[in-house]
Amino acid sequence: MLLDIKNLKVRANEKEILRGINLQIKKGEIQALLGPNASGKSTLVQVILGNPKYQVTQGKIFFAGKEITKLLPEKRVKLGLALAWQTPPAVKGVKLSQLLEKISQRKDLQRFEEGKELLERETNVDFSGGEKKISELLQILALRPKLVIFDEIDSGLDLKKLEKVSKIIKKELAAKGVSVLLITHSGAILQFLKPKMTNVMVNGRVICKEKDFRKVLKTIKKYGYEKCKKCKLLAN
Amino acid sequence: MKNVKNVNYWQIDHKIKKIFEAKGVEVLTSKSAWEKHNWARKYFFKKPKEGYFIWIKKQTDLPLLTCISIATKNTEQELQNLLILEKNLNINLQGTCNAQKRDLSCGHKAQGKIILKESSTLKYEHIHSWGQKDIVEPNYEFLLEKNSKLDYTFKAFFTPKKLKINTQLFLFEGASCNLKILANCIQTEIEIKDTLRLVQKGAKGQIKLRLVGRKNSRISTHSQIVAEAESKGHLDCQGLLIDKNSTISLIPELICQSKDAQITHEASIGKISEEELNYLRQRGLSEEEAINLIVTGFLELGE
Repeated sequence: MLLDIKNLKVRANEKEILRGINLQIKKGEIQALLGPNASGKSTLVQVILGNPKYQVTQGKIFFAGKEITKLLPEKRVKLGLALAWQTPPAVKGVKLSQLLEKISQRKDLQRFEEGKELLERETNVDFSGGEKKISELLQILALRPKLVIFDEIDSGLDLKKLEKVSKIIKKELAAKGVSVLLITHSGAILQFLKPKMTNVMVNGRVICKEKDFRKVLKTIKKYGYEKCKKCKLLAN
Repeated sequence: MKNVKNVNYWQIDHKIKKIFEAKGVEVLTSKSAWEKHNWARKYFFKKPKEGYFIWIKKQTDLPLLTCISIATKNTEQELQNLLILEKNLNINLQGTCNAQKRDLSCGHKAQGKIILKESSTLKYEHIHSWGQKDIVEPNYEFLLEKNSKLDYTFKAFFTPKKLKINTQLFLFEGASCNLKILANCIQTEIEIKDTLRLVQKGAKGQIKLRLVGRKNSRISTHSQIVAEAESKGHLDCQGLLIDKNSTISLIPELICQSKDAQITHEASIGKISEEELNYLRQRGLSEEEAINLIVTGFLELGE
């Protein structure tokens, strides 16, 4: 198992946000995590990456056979974890090319036509939604990760751009054995990347694990997440 | 000093290592200039002991370089520098002042005068790099004659124990200037006093300060724009406080003596955003590397 999260409970500002999460991802696997707004998806990914803002009160996170629950964010990244942010902050005065040079473990990023015009601009400063996704993708590729979590990569992208981004993820990550966890509210990206397992998260818990992502999307589209709550296909 | 080959004035401790005169440029020690050019005496504060005299009489396309270093412990430099740029010339100058080691406990006092004659342009990058026990006091005065232009950047990325910067600019008819002071202060007490005097009609100037306070640094600035005639001036001071034990105090002052002048200012002091720091750490940078990158970006914005 590449990522193994066991009974994870997390608090922030005295409020319990994650209430016992279990999630496992194997090497080379694509999985999805769906959930309504404020279900705790973004908190979960920040906790996996070690954001000190959140306090793990119970449970453990293992990555590549090592317990990482208390590891510093940068050490988790060195182990092969990577996160593409939904809304990355601006890094004023630092060009994207400078940042890539600083973090990069590869020299061939210039070949990505998509990001060329972004390289000489300040990182994430006045980037459009689509530009932010490309910038995130370039940074992820620079890190040579083993597992990439994409937080709402399908938000703010039209279908054509989404297909393009999906192709890069397939070719540069999935095809090379990198595991992918797609965090998505709308599920729009799933048709392009076809996850092996789709998890549904509601109110700080993963309440459903389903192999057929179409079935999950269809249910959510028709009945909303309320049906998932009632279904209780899998309770943690 | 990387460009030793092309350096025009090079001094280590009190000793002259090299003087190189480009065509149309006279380079002397200030002491020799005092003896040779009677007319220049009025520009010196007193009879100089050390420092440079550079008189640029003709256009030279290569950048002029000066380097004043300290290599020996407890050395106390007391320099008087004079640079005169003749009419209609356009010159780039890079000046470096540094300590060759971080623990020399040295002193560097510089009294400088830079004169830009009518319609001349000077781009001057002044880089300071010191050890943690040094005391440094650059005190420069710029006289900008009619329609001349100055772009002056003072950078201190390795700051001494004490740094006292005093910069005065006098702008005459139609002259313009852009003064930038960028300092990454680590365990430093820094005092900056800069005054931009818009003396005559059409003068236009900007002061930009970007100051980072780290590891018990004390930063205080007093920046002043005085508009004596129809003119424009803007003051932009920004501080970035990295830790709890540092302080930054920014005092901008505008003095308007002409109803036709337009002078403005903005000042702010901020801290590093936790989100930005976390973002960079999630790119594999340690906390210190991430802070350094944010600081680099902050100072870069001042350029």
